Amino acid sequence: MATPVIMPRQGQSVESCIIVKWHKKVGDAVKAGDLLFTYETDKASFDEESKIDGIILAIFYQEDADVPVLTNVCVIGDEGEDPSPYSPGGEATEKAIKPDIVAADTAEESEGATKPVPVVAAEGATKPVPVASPRARNLAERAGVDFSRAAGSGPDGRIIEKDIIALQQQGSAGTKAAFAAGLTGTGAGTGLGGRTTLQDIADAEVSGRQSGSGVEAEVSAGDYTEVKLTNIRKVIANAMFASLSTTAQLTLNSSFNAADILEYRRWVKENMQAQGMPNITLNDVLLFAVSRVLLMHKSLNANLVDEKMRYFAHVHLGVAIDTERGLMVPTIFNADAKSISEICTEAKSLVEQCQKGTINPDLLKGGTFTVTNLGGLGVESFTPVLNPPQTGILGVNNITQRFRNEGGAAGFYPAMGLSLTFDHRAVDGAPAARFLKDLTVFLENFRSNIK
Amino acid sequence: MPKSQYIDPNQVRQKGWIKFKDIPVNQYDKTVKDETGNFSRDDFMRIFRDMSIIREFETMLNKIKVTGEYNGISYNHPGPAHLSMGQEASAVGQAFLLDKDDFIFGSHRSHGEILAKGLSAIEKTDDATLTEIMESYFDGAVLKVAEGITKTESVKQLAMNFLLYGTLAEIFARETGFNKGLGGSMHAFFTPLGIYPNNAIVGGSADISVGAALYKKINRKKGIVIANIGDASLGCGPVWEALMLATMDQYKKLWEGEYKGGLPLIFNFMNNQYGMGGQTSGETMGYEILARLGAGINPEQMHSERVDGYNPLAVIDAIRRKKEIIENKQGPVLLDTLTYRFTGHSPSDASSYRTKEEIDAWVEQDSIESYKKELISANIAKEDEFESIRQNISEILTEVVRTATDDTKSPKIEPEKIGTYMFSNKKIEKMEDGDCETLIPLEENPRVVQISKKVRTATENGQPVSKNRVYQLRDGIFEAIIHKFYTDPTLVAYGEENRDWGGAFAVYRGLTESLPYNRLFNSSISEAAIVGSAVGYGLSGGRVIAELMYCDFLGRAGDEVFNQLSKWQSMSAGELKMPVVLRVSVGSKYGAQHSQDWTSLAAHIPGLKVVFPATPYDAKGLMNSALMGTDPVIFFESQRIYDIGEMFHEGGVPEGYYEIPIGEPDIKREGKDLTILSVGATLYRALQAADIFEEKYGISAEVIDARSIVPFDYEKVIESVKKTGRIILASDACERGSHLKDMAQTISETAFDYLDAPPVVVGSRNWITPAHEIEDYFFPQAQWLVDAFHEKIMPLKDHVAENNFTVNEQLRRNKGGI
Repeated sequence: MATPVIMPRQGQSVESCIIVKWHKKVGDAVKAGDLLFTYETDKASFDEESKIDGIILAIFYQEDADVPVLTNVCVIGDEGEDPSPYSPGGEATEKAIKPDIVAADTAEESEGATKPVPVVAAEGATKPVPVASPRARNLAERAGVDFSRAAGSGPDGRIIEKDIIALQQQGSAGTKAAFAAGLTGTGAGTGLGGRTTLQDIADAEVSGRQSGSGVEAEVSAGDYTEVKLTNIRKVIANAMFASLSTTAQLTLNSSFNAADILEYRRWVKENMQAQGMPNITLNDVLLFAVSRVLLMHKSLNANLVDEKMRYFAHVHLGVAIDTERGLMVPTIFNADAKSISEICTEAKSLVEQCQKGTINPDLLKGGTFTVTNLGGLGVESFTPVLNPPQTGILGVNNITQRFRNEGGAAGFYPAMGLSLTFDHRAVDGAPAARFLKDLTVFLENFRSNIK
Repeated sequence: MPKSQYIDPNQVRQKGWIKFKDIPVNQYDKTVKDETGNFSRDDFMRIFRDMSIIREFETMLNKIKVTGEYNGISYNHPGPAHLSMGQEASAVGQAFLLDKDDFIFGSHRSHGEILAKGLSAIEKTDDATLTEIMESYFDGAVLKVAEGITKTESVKQLAMNFLLYGTLAEIFARETGFNKGLGGSMHAFFTPLGIYPNNAIVGGSADISVGAALYKKINRKKGIVIANIGDASLGCGPVWEALMLATMDQYKKLWEGEYKGGLPLIFNFMNNQYGMGGQTSGETMGYEILARLGAGINPEQMHSERVDGYNPLAVIDAIRRKKEIIENKQGPVLLDTLTYRFTGHSPSDASSYRTKEEIDAWVEQDSIESYKKELISANIAKEDEFESIRQNISEILTEVVRTATDDTKSPKIEPEKIGTYMFSNKKIEKMEDGDCETLIPLEENPRVVQISKKVRTATENGQPVSKNRVYQLRDGIFEAIIHKFYTDPTLVAYGEENRDWGGAFAVYRGLTESLPYNRLFNSSISEAAIVGSAVGYGLSGGRVIAELMYCDFLGRAGDEVFNQLSKWQSMSAGELKMPVVLRVSVGSKYGAQHSQDWTSLAAHIPGLKVVFPATPYDAKGLMNSALMGTDPVIFFESQRIYDIGEMFHEGGVPEGYYEIPIGEPDIKREGKDLTILSVGATLYRALQAADIFEEKYGISAEVIDARSIVPFDYEKVIESVKKTGRIILASDACERGSHLKDMAQTISETAFDYLDAPPVVVGSRNWITPAHEIEDYFFPQAQWLVDAFHEKIMPLKDHVAENNFTVNEQLRRNKGGI
């Protein structure tokens, strides 16, 4: 008996997967347990095995196709059986495919014999594509509204922004996949901003089945996977837990006017070639500033071990680096004696070594203070976790425009956030705050400080 | 309109005759022998040498143009070469007595004048000064190359190589040329030796020279100014305007003290008897002898005469006598320097309009050969000496050509650098240090006293302030200008009715009380010469405010605004500054020829800054910026709102000095649903429209006043459009070709994804401006903005449009050209 193989759903948030590789082709015989195809989400890749014996009768999506989950991907059955009823473009699922998308796909890859049949392409060609303003399309995209459902009220029936707003207010939002899976009506969704998601559709179907046939819903085996922690992940997990469970850490947040360091950065960009200097980033600026200010705040350039404070004469700066394997914190030794160019060059080299995995383990210890930067990822404030026995760690945030009224002149300025976590066992709040204060003053006058 | 001069009907209605004095024609009749007491042997030989240098220089250019080769060096020069072979005696004779403090301005045919003037100035300048000039020019970039051309034994020899190389490299568009290749053959110049811009517009140098002469006179600078223009330029209106502006009675009758007297200026017509192919005397003119014209211009007949430009000694003699006249403040002078060019107008000219016989006859009398023969017969030198001079010139020139055509030694400019020369963008408070000549202390000026009693906001305690008490837009302009008159001693202002009348719109009322004639004067009704002379005044080093009483007169000054004012900074590669503010008043109420907003014309021409303030605060701040800068600013003002008070700036118009940067638009009212960008006085109709939108339709409009048109920082506008998604651009300029279309296009491209509808431009109709009574049919009204919004952006509920803004109507109008 012909049996369709669907694209499994890997996790609640996954709405489609990409087929990376087919291990079988049409006409191949397969046994239960044979590898059919490999597919991936944005986070991981998976193998799909055949659950039955038979012959591959049809393959509906080729490699690199982005397939909505729960869609039929291929059909396995006995020789001579007709797979066409299971085609995603076939009679049974025709409504699930948006007409214009099918038409476009077909036009691009006409040789794909196993592609969904463009049953409704002709209809799509005659139906005029609704005209919407760029702003309306944009809003529709962000709000998850299919703009073509809006009633255009602009000149000549153009769909304009207010039509999308009206549509949103009717609750007619849905995710792309939900539309692809046949969402037509409106209703309260459970997704972001009330969007109807695939889950909502599935739930509706399940409840329909329940009320209709009394069959119970069951959790399918594809709903989760188990992956063992890598070693580095275990190390991080233990370190983080130990940090939070053995210290008295808390975080102070502050910000400063980043105009001066931005100006410096701009100058660097313009002059680095002429001056033969490396591409000094804002992070390098922060590292440099910390290396200079920290020496005036000994209790933060220290280790707390066994009720003893160990104060360091030099700053050995830990730099938190995000790698594929996980967080790594190499050290720039004697950073206080290095120029900004040297710090920049060394930091870059450390990042490279960490990412390649060639870092000398000796460079992964010995830090007296750590700097971690999530600003590039748009983080506005966070609570960095201490790296014991260090007594402080500085989190660097992104730059936001802030408004202030200074001496009667009101205006916006670029504010960069700093989050300092410190061990209250070693340092009190006021001295920690003074360090932050000195650091921000240093940074706000960076160009004169670097001379 | 000076009250001091009474026009007596009894006198002016009397019967009488105008009598003319005889005008000398080629009266010089001395030979070299006769002049041996007046010239040294070196002088005589230098005259020969300089004429020969010019001849060889142009022969070289001609060979390169025609055969692609000179003395074995191949080169393709695709650019122009308007040669003056035959005219050498005119150039060298003129330059003989001039030094670097004398300015010459020329034409497209001025290679000879550049070299002659340069060589003469080098001769008269001491070595230290020459070295300083060469070392400082473009930080020695030209000198560095010039030093490697040939071995030189003296600074003067090096300076000669420098001159030949700088000129030729300029002609060949090299960055090491005198103007970094941005001037080229027709516009090459080198001001440190007094060689001022040569002009590819026929007669273009006439009014610019008047400005340079005004600069010298008003700022008491050494030297005279010579406008070298062609005989055919007498067909050009601006040349006549220049003659009128230069010979105004007031210099001799109204200007006082040391300023009394005529301009230090010679209008020298290099009369080669052809204007392209048109034979001036005999075909395209009616003067028969050009020098005749002086008689019609002033009682002094402009000391006019014809001089034989084929004889260098005759020209030197004439210049010597004319300089004396100028030193006695009896200028300006008109000189008809008769000469002949052997070659065509340009290499493509086959001389089909003249006979070979005629050319041969003039070649037969070639000035260089004739002069040489005279020198020989006067025993000044022998034939072989002349040959050796020529040989030496040819050798030097060969090396100059080799260097100037070498792409490594003489590279071309990098493309983006040209942009950096479009504006000088300097802030210079005063163009020169020194006392500002004024008649009374600033605080005693009656207008200043009057303004001090005014209310500097449009409303007081919520009530509008009466027109008589309110600080008006015209007061803002006045305050900025009078401040500068007491700060920058070089500042002058002139135009029509600028003095006693106080300007046609009372902006200058009170200025007369503070300023002598030499700083504020009425000009002849000569828009071209008003602007052209301002160009000359500015590029000579002074700051000037010129005025066009109506924007519609911009056409009259078209060349001066579009080809002169806008171009000389960049064509000089940054050597010249152009601190010229051109006030242009935009009318209304006066029909088709006095009510047009031509900001778009000005915006289209690269090299001009264009502003159009609409509030007293902006007017004062922008005028302060314009007067602090070193770039030409076309300062548009609207006659509709000269009397408007300040409604926007909190606290009203500050009494002290402040600047509003040119290029910054200003949000006059905040809103969230629609952006309206207005230019000039249209602001107030945009605000009315914003009221209608708010009150009738609940649509909140953000109104942005462009304030400046060029340059223009779009940031605020883009931010606003990102917020509102909709924009209407409105101004009083006719909608077709309006600069607003350009802005709309820029907004479409930069904010496309945020737009809910295409940007909509509402301008004046593409008609004549009708009479005042029916003007509202023509200029954008508040209701037009609402109708355009309804039709093109978002239909308004229950709105019935009064004006047709449909797409079909738009196409129909375009089809009909209306």
